[in-house]
Amino acid sequence: MTSVDFSIVLPEFLLAVYALAALLFAVYTGKDKTAGLISWLTAAVFVVLAILIGSRSTGAQSAFNGMFVDDAFARFAKVGILLAGAAVLAMSQDYLKKHDMLKFELPIIVALSTIGMMVMVSAGDLMALYMGLELMSLALYVLASFRRDSTRSSEAGLKYFVLGSLSSGLLLYGASLTYGFAGTTNFAGILSVVKDGAPLGVLFGLVFMITGMAFKVSAVPFHMWTPDVYEGAPTPVTAFFATAPKLAAMALFARVLHDAFGGISSDWSQVVALIAVASMFLGAIAGIGQKDIKRLMAYSSISHMGFALIGVASGTVGGVQAALIYMAIYIVMNIGTFAFIMTMERDGQPVTEIKALNSYWKVSPTKSLAVLFLMFSMAGVPPMVGFFGKLAVLQAAVEANMTWLATAGVVASVIGAFYYLRVVYYMFFGSDVEPLDDTKGGVANIAVLVVGLIMLVGIINLFGVDTLALTAAEALVR
Amino acid sequence: MVGLEHYLAVAAALFVIGIFGLFLNRKNVIIILMSVELILLSVNINLVAFSSFAGDLVGQIFTMLVLTVAAAEAAIGLAILVGFFRNRGTIDVEDVNVMKG
Amino acid sequence: MTVADYAFYLFAILLVASGLFTVVARNPVHSVLWLILTFLSASGLFVLLGAEFVAMLLIIVYVGAVMVLFLFVVMMLDVDFAQLRGGMAKFMPFALLIGIVVLMQLSIAFGDWTAADGSQALRAAVTPDLTEVHNTAALGQLMYDDFLLLFQLAGLILLTAMIGAIVLTLRHNPNVKRQNVMAQMHRDPAKAMELKDVKSGQGL
Repeated sequence: MTSVDFSIVLPEFLLAVYALAALLFAVYTGKDKTAGLISWLTAAVFVVLAILIGSRSTGAQSAFNGMFVDDAFARFAKVGILLAGAAVLAMSQDYLKKHDMLKFELPIIVALSTIGMMVMVSAGDLMALYMGLELMSLALYVLASFRRDSTRSSEAGLKYFVLGSLSSGLLLYGASLTYGFAGTTNFAGILSVVKDGAPLGVLFGLVFMITGMAFKVSAVPFHMWTPDVYEGAPTPVTAFFATAPKLAAMALFARVLHDAFGGISSDWSQVVALIAVASMFLGAIAGIGQKDIKRLMAYSSISHMGFALIGVASGTVGGVQAALIYMAIYIVMNIGTFAFIMTMERDGQPVTEIKALNSYWKVSPTKSLAVLFLMFSMAGVPPMVGFFGKLAVLQAAVEANMTWLATAGVVASVIGAFYYLRVVYYMFFGSDVEPLDDTKGGVANIAVLVVGLIMLVGIINLFGVDTLALTAAEALVR
Repeated sequence: MVGLEHYLAVAAALFVIGIFGLFLNRKNVIIILMSVELILLSVNINLVAFSSFAGDLVGQIFTMLVLTVAAAEAAIGLAILVGFFRNRGTIDVEDVNVMKG
Repeated sequence: MTVADYAFYLFAILLVASGLFTVVARNPVHSVLWLILTFLSASGLFVLLGAEFVAMLLIIVYVGAVMVLFLFVVMMLDVDFAQLRGGMAKFMPFALLIGIVVLMQLSIAFGDWTAADGSQALRAAVTPDLTEVHNTAALGQLMYDDFLLLFQLAGLILLTAMIGAIVLTLRHNPNVKRQNVMAQMHRDPAKAMELKDVKSGQGL
């Protein structure tokens, strides 16, 4: 334990100090009157930390006896997590203020969960993994039931809590078996002894750990909490759930499989591939009948997680790179879509029915066009950015000799395209209903337009995300 | 002579009882929380047994961390449960008319 | 068999039996009490394994604090628990099936546990000789030194739990009259009271 160790965890440390200072400041001054200020401040701190982390380029370093790893992979994920968190905080302001949910605890809990995610993606040890995961999860349980007077919100929180704590229990049981076999909780140590022909006990450990992590990324068959929690939680919280924690959990998934169990990749790659296929198809098919746009987004995220898992399952540098590109695009698309959902209202009340979007283009042609780009991108229609994400994972699967997986991916994306196109159909050709309000101004509206534009402009070079993802993937897969 | 396998068997039995309790008491959230506590206890028995038989203290450190987190988890879980009860007047999770499971 | 072996079987049987009663008891208060017995037996096992600090922690933190919290919530929520047990018979066959399958699989896996060849060399914190340094001191040295990061993260987790519990349950009722000590102490009798001289026969 030296000052070098502390300089490596500096971003996490700064964020923790910020969270404590903000908490004290708010409690001893105006309480909820300071909520707006603290939200903006938290978003600003996230952006500053993202710049700080992004500008570090010192290869791979580890701190606290290998417990905490700072490599290109962790940095990529952390920058993504922080920027997503900042974007969600910024665009939620108006919604929270309007619906009387602007409490100073919200940004502080978001900051605490972000520390958890940052530790998670940097974990080099089963114990650090568990602590990061729990810090994130506990904060998310509170966020889900944040609107405590709403039955739906507290029900969402309860469901998320029960299934989430079960999944942590399973993950932990797997971790204990792995520790018993390897004699160490360090990933590098586990990697050095878990090789082909590992006994059944450690394979059970791996299966339990995959189960626990599949819960966190909401992959089939551990997805059942997703639609209820997405629908019940307040929309800004759902927007947060759909972005930063998903990236963190996916990065953790890739890190555990490669860093700790890279020696038995043939054992896990088939399991992860099966989970991926099941997620893609369930998300694509079950989403068709949905009437609520937040539930639709839940099934959409299950399906998207399936696609990202294809990249993880292929177990190559290209696969991890593709998964990271896919996740980055997924997060941007979700920020745009949830910004749009936050602006959907009629007579000042939030509306989440898909039918309410009928003839929306008459209300706001520019926003309709932006949502058109977003939905096409989600569906993977060329030439939108989303298409390149899907192309990357499918290519990775083909290169890893998993053509069947790629074929399944193509079929699932065709089925899944239906419900995204249905939203667009309603907006442009739907029958006349009582129109939604034409909300103007505010960060959320700007975010819709900006993200819509990114879906089109991004195809030029994906803003260089692919080269960054390549560096990150090379740091992970050795 | 009692060996490592004996402890692992006890922990496995407790783990299974925890899972069993989850499925058995799908309506009663308080018992579900207790089942989760049983699962975490079985993890702790595993960790301490491995730690003791391998002569490595990391397992016991891990156990202490699990205990801390489990306590925090119980606090949050009960807080959410109390909030849910205030809104609904019941703690029945199967009774979900508001949202279809 | 030595005394320690008998003690193991005593605690192990108590642990499994009370664990089972926790999940099948009809009354949740009984469940909590069975759970306490489970934790006590587990701490007995921990003592047998030579982890006395964790054993005492389990009793003090778990039985002393967490279980009391559970008991408190069970008593506080006015729920008709008999009605909640209704579905138990319905889920029983399914739950039993899952339990038995998982138990069989685990018993196959644990029949003969082998650690990896290099696992002895990989140990990060070899247990020191008991005559030199005892369990609690050894754990303390590790916790505040090698595992400082985890210790701090545990602190953040507890802070999150505290904020969460307050956010979700604390309510300020504006209709409640609260005591204001300063206002009470600075009350001036001359201003608060007025003496009226009421003449007899006239009234006010």
